[in-house]
Amino acid sequence: MDARMTTDPMIESPQTEPQASSELDVKPETPEETKPAKQVRMPDPKLDPNSPNVFEVRDLNLYYEKFHALKNVTIDIPKNHVTAFIGPSGCGKSTLLRCFNRMNDLIDGVRIDGSITMEGQDIHSKDLDVVNLRTEVGMVFQAPNPFPMSIFDNVAYGLRCQGIRDMKKLRVVVEDSLRKAALWEEAKDHLHRNALKLSGGQQQRLCIARAIALEPKVILMDEPTSALDPIATAHIEDLIEELKKLYTIIIVTHSMNQAARISDKTAFFLLGDLVEVGDTSEVFHVPRDKRTEDYISGKFG
Amino acid sequence: MNKRRKFADDVRTVVTWLSTSISVIVLAAIFVFVFSRGWNTLSWDVLMSDYHPENMLVEFSDGTPGHFERPADLDDADVFSEKYGFALRDEIDHRKQHLMVLTYIADDSPLRDAVFAGSGPRKGDKITVMEDMQIRRFDYMSEARGRKSPAGFMGNQKTADETIERIETDGSALIGMFYQSTGGGMRGSLVATLMLIGLTLVIALPIGIAAAVYLHELAPKNKFTSVIRSFIEMLSGVPSIVFGLMGMTMLFSVTALFGITTQSILLGALTLSVILFPVIIRQTEEALIVVPDGLRMASLSLGSSHTQMIFKVILPNALPGILTATLLSISRIIGESAALIYTMGVAINDHPEIGRSGTSLAVQIWTVMTGEQPNFELASAISIVILIMVLVLNLTVKGISSRLNRKWRT
Ligand SMILES: Nc1ncnc2c1ncn2[C@@H]1O[C@H](COP(=O)(O)OP(=O)(O)OP(=O)(O)O)[C@@H](O)[C@H]1O
Ligand SMILES: [Mg+2]
Repeated sequence: MDARMTTDPMIESPQTEPQASSELDVKPETPEETKPAKQVRMPDPKLDPNSPNVFEVRDLNLYYEKFHALKNVTIDIPKNHVTAFIGPSGCGKSTLLRCFNRMNDLIDGVRIDGSITMEGQDIHSKDLDVVNLRTEVGMVFQAPNPFPMSIFDNVAYGLRCQGIRDMKKLRVVVEDSLRKAALWEEAKDHLHRNALKLSGGQQQRLCIARAIALEPKVILMDEPTSALDPIATAHIEDLIEELKKLYTIIIVTHSMNQAARISDKTAFFLLGDLVEVGDTSEVFHVPRDKRTEDYISGKFG
Repeated sequence: MNKRRKFADDVRTVVTWLSTSISVIVLAAIFVFVFSRGWNTLSWDVLMSDYHPENMLVEFSDGTPGHFERPADLDDADVFSEKYGFALRDEIDHRKQHLMVLTYIADDSPLRDAVFAGSGPRKGDKITVMEDMQIRRFDYMSEARGRKSPAGFMGNQKTADETIERIETDGSALIGMFYQSTGGGMRGSLVATLMLIGLTLVIALPIGIAAAVYLHELAPKNKFTSVIRSFIEMLSGVPSIVFGLMGMTMLFSVTALFGITTQSILLGALTLSVILFPVIIRQTEEALIVVPDGLRMASLSLGSSHTQMIFKVILPNALPGILTATLLSISRIIGESAALIYTMGVAINDHPEIGRSGTSLAVQIWTVMTGEQPNFELASAISIVILIMVLVLNLTVKGISSRLNRKWRT
């Protein structure tokens, strides 16, 4: 499969390049339709170095042991935009999200085929350092999970793992990250207090600060507000608005409102299939697929 | 509820009550028994003195008599020597034998200024004569015969009264004395036990913790790993005397590398380490399980390597559990005897060394009880020490684990 991917685009992409866009994969369910579509949008880093996409996912299939959790998913994640993944529970949103920083590696029995490239580089290739990948692709989890250490140490954790010990530099980065995560005002006076003493919403912002401290290119967020009250949620949503100027954000959410409010692009999943992906306004107002419409209007889910 | 059901219910309740009270009563009985037999024997002196009485022959630099006042706080049973400024008392030891104990020495008594007079390398060394020594014999200059004469009960049993009268009336000066330290203490075993604990932990903890980290954090979750794990669990079912045999035959060659040719504390520590591996691995794994997976994910997603995750997040958070493992191990070391009999020896050693044999407190109980005259009082006193140590350790473990539970409850 990999071999085909590296040879095919050489031949095919020149004439198809102008078409390269993510809005085309509307109906990936029938194999006859996906096959040619896939070949049309083969990425080729050499021909398109300034691709507007951070990630390009091609024909991704993921299995948990026997269970087929992601089926032929092909999607592009545009740079400096917010992409929302929506869909009913168990449709594979988190699974796909974890593919981007290869957290699925930690789960036994996971098998992946297809390709994911980040800025043209295959993230599953042998010479990609997964530790580097994870510093470039940060992640915020559903439940806030600060380390039981001080606020300062939490934010400095990633940098210290890289061997940065210089306190002056760490202090600058910690302050900067906490400011970006809108936590600085609340936290500046007790940076050395245990992070577990913060409220849930503050903890989640701390987790975002901790991810930002590494200056990632992408931040993955898996239902970051599902454990929070509306006020804390609003806080985080404002924060995402701010952050998207600097970072590419992929967010999984169960809230249609949230997706509509904060995302630029929306992808709708159903039972491991990517049903529809497009500009958020289009997906919400003129969905192309009946199932998307049903889900968004609350007919199932 | 009908009558029959109610009756059956009551019976079951009573049975559980009875069972509980039986175990409480047994526990209480052990405590009462051990304390009643050993409490009077237990004292700071017993904790801090040697087991084997030491024989000492000393000479006084200046044995000329002076004049001393009997101190007011001296017991009536004490016989005071006004010429030489010391007091003796008659006592009976646990072997029902008569002793003469030195109970008081005045500050400027000739007894204070003594040198070792026996043979060997210590000859001429300054000796500080202490109270509580058993006096066997005084050597004094006999006025009547003009030569050195003995007084005391070396050959002929003499009481304190007779002894002092003899040296005061018959003698013109004290030359020296022969005495024995009291003995019957547990200091040697206490020190050996501490050495054993230290050595065993130094060997077993790092290896056990590393093994647990490997099994829980790094090993692939496959058949092979689970087979290894069940082997380790099986180890904890092996009786410790079998480990003792194994230590004696197999680990002996390890200590031989250090040039040790006998049973030794090191051999005991190695054997105990093997016994403790399953305990430590089990407890540490338990502690690792408690660390939330979210922290592992968080660490890795921030670009830490696996080992950084283990050392910066997992182990610090598993620390209370590891501490619990350590304390339980110490309890086990203090209580273990069977495995040590073959590996560390049964002869009580008052000056324990790592490369020499010795007894732990538990084995000392065995030794004093299997001697010709079982010393029940000392055995009970040692038991009290062991019970208190284990109790304190267990309470600490309780405290730590309740703190641990509180930490992750939210
Ligand atoms: N570790 C795993 N082992 C086996 N199956 C898994 C595992 N994780 C997820 N799955 C399965 O894969 C499917 C997709 O799971 P995933 O967590 O990606 O769903 P999701 O869309 O994030 O759902 P939710 O909205 O409830 O979070 C589910 O059917 C789930 O049962
Ligand atoms: Mg999910």
